[in-house]
Amino acid sequence: MIVMKTIGSILVITSSAGIGFFFSSEMKSRIEDLKELRKLIVLLRGDIRYANTPLPEAIHSIARRHDGAFKQFFHFIYEKLSELSGETFSQVWKEAVEKELCNTSLLKKDKLDLIQFGENLGYLDKEMQMNTLDLYISQIEDEIEDLSKNVKEKSYLFNSLGIMAGIFITIVMI
Amino acid sequence: MNAKEELLKIFSLKLRTILGRLNISFDYLQEIRLRMNAPLLIVYENKEFFVTEDSKLVMDPARALVVNKNEIRETMEYISNYSLYAFEEEIRQGFITINGGHRIGIAGKVIMDNDSIKGMKHISFINVRLAHQVQGCADPVLPYIINKKYGEIYHTLIISPPRCGKTTLLRDLIRQLSNGSVYLKGMSVGVVDERSEIGACYMGTPQNELGIRTDILDCCPKAKGMMILIRSMSPQIIAVDEIGSQEDLEAIDYVIGCGCKLIATVHGSSIEDIKSKPVLCELVRKGLFERYIILSNIKSIGHLDEIYDSRGRRIYPFLEENKEKEDKLL
Repeated sequence: MIVMKTIGSILVITSSAGIGFFFSSEMKSRIEDLKELRKLIVLLRGDIRYANTPLPEAIHSIARRHDGAFKQFFHFIYEKLSELSGETFSQVWKEAVEKELCNTSLLKKDKLDLIQFGENLGYLDKEMQMNTLDLYISQIEDEIEDLSKNVKEKSYLFNSLGIMAGIFITIVMI
Repeated sequence: MNAKEELLKIFSLKLRTILGRLNISFDYLQEIRLRMNAPLLIVYENKEFFVTEDSKLVMDPARALVVNKNEIRETMEYISNYSLYAFEEEIRQGFITINGGHRIGIAGKVIMDNDSIKGMKHISFINVRLAHQVQGCADPVLPYIINKKYGEIYHTLIISPPRCGKTTLLRDLIRQLSNGSVYLKGMSVGVVDERSEIGACYMGTPQNELGIRTDILDCCPKAKGMMILIRSMSPQIIAVDEIGSQEDLEAIDYVIGCGCKLIATVHGSSIEDIKSKPVLCELVRKGLFERYIILSNIKSIGHLDEIYDSRGRRIYPFLEENKEKEDKLL
């Protein structure tokens, strides 16, 4: 009986600790994803600012050069835009955010921001593009800064909460 | 992808299907006009037709398909490749050149910034003007602009109203002079293509054949471009389209002074018409051009009407009385 209880307790504690670790690592990879996204948007801004490159072309060149989690996202947008199927740029962008970013650690809020950013792309003149891109980049930077400030404390909190919760459940069950 | 599909790509899905089903030869299609809440119109073989929803050409506007706001918006999105900002300069001038060399004229609400045009919004009128290469169309003109004695060409001005094929003629002249012909060996030609109409460069590659000895300065203002070409590419002939400003005139003086030969085009219907224009009259008065080619579309597009020499004597169609006068003089 004691053996069973011990095995049970170990299972409960490891799984709840695992949940804690999962949350803390998700938070870290969200920061990584946001940094990656910022890098790509800066590339996009450069292409538009210096070469006046149209969006599909700029997006295609990012998809070709980049090899991370966002490759498929940019590739999807390029492919879809090339079809000229009657959808507007913002519709294609939104569809790509909803379909192609499931394997990243971005939160729903990040995705909503990204969709909103897409709504203003391609619209009006170059100055407006620069403003939109700059605004979005500073938005991501703020988010990264906020997260980085608390990442140590929060990941420690998630880790210890996970273990503590496991111990607590074990005690209650025993 | 052929030229027809390439062109149709710029239209909205619905218009693309309708225009694609039209039973016409795209080689003779001149214009496609889209106006908000107005019938879809095409100019084919110099005649105007309305297009119905089931792709038939009719003369009655009531039966035609009415273009709505969404079609215009979608078409504009495809023309600009989803990126209006990339065509800021072109929009300011009122037209965009697309792959294939076709010129898209646009009109809408103009946004002003002090005294200059900043851009355009609510674009509601689109005119797609199709560019055609007619190889060999310069054949009848070529012998008249060549100075066999010196093995060079005359400074030539092509005068024609819009839609009469002056750019098409210029393009073929450039091609034949650059490649060489039975009359003259090939010469190096510099083209200043301010509106990307002559070479129709798309991402740097000319879409039209301009010959093997041709250098193209794409999207460059004419006056500046002529100077750059002379300094950088040492051309024997310089070709430009639609001259008219004071700046152009100064650059032309420079070109002629450098020993280059010049071929230019201008909007107009006759030499008298050019003489009545403020800047251009100067050109005729100075006698800078040695050949004036006048086109019209009375009989067909690009019909060669008349050719005059620098003293205003008609040399094509050649008049018998002129010949007699010349004989007497000799």
